[in-house]
Amino acid sequence: MPPEAALFRTLADPTRRAVFERLGEGEMTVSDLRSGFSVSQPAISQHLAALKAAGLVSERRAGRNAFYRLRPEGLAPLAGWVDRYRTFWPERIAKLKDVLKDMEP
Amino acid sequence: MSLESPLETIVVDTDLDEPPEKVWRALTEPEVLDRWLAEAKDRAEVVESEPGKRLRLTWRDRDADGGLVESEVTFTLTPMITGGTRLRLVHDGFVHTACMSALARLPRALRRPRLANLGGLAWAA
Repeated sequence: MPPEAALFRTLADPTRRAVFERLGEGEMTVSDLRSGFSVSQPAISQHLAALKAAGLVSERRAGRNAFYRLRPEGLAPLAGWVDRYRTFWPERIAKLKDVLKDMEP
Repeated sequence: MSLESPLETIVVDTDLDEPPEKVWRALTEPEVLDRWLAEAKDRAEVVESEPGKRLRLTWRDRDADGGLVESEVTFTLTPMITGGTRLRLVHDGFVHTACMSALARLPRALRRPRLANLGGLAWAA
């Protein structure tokens, strides 16, 4: 599976996406994160594990606590996927111009 | 040709010398389309067509394990005083909009992680 497909899949879950967005506010523990969500702490932990596996979140342990934060660089493959089309379309439009010149009126 | 680039949408504007009727043929006649956008055969399906003006397509990409990433491509044709056509292409409506909207809500500086070294970035801003 290409990396961008894995990202799409990981972020397709709305709760997981909300966890991801919430981490945009800063580094948090699971219990920090849990407030504001109606799901259980183990469910949040599961989403964090999936985000970690996808390279979107990193974990730092300090004593008994684990702190989670975003890894924005984890989104790079996604930007790459959209960027392929950013190059693709102008190339195709250039080709279209040539084709139009050759077409019967 | 100009590009506008929020991450979730690709817009390409271009001015063509040919009139809208001719540009329309290039977009819709299979043998002509095949000469500049052969991928359309496998990926595109027309969802809305307003002859000479607007063509909306569903655009499907297949990922490695056969999953589909679905998006939308719209061509809009506007006649110009010169007799030519202003063609606007918009590629958006990614079904994994989920992903795109998560991205859109991140602080702007983080959306293009390749462009900056964010490794040591402090998040508690």
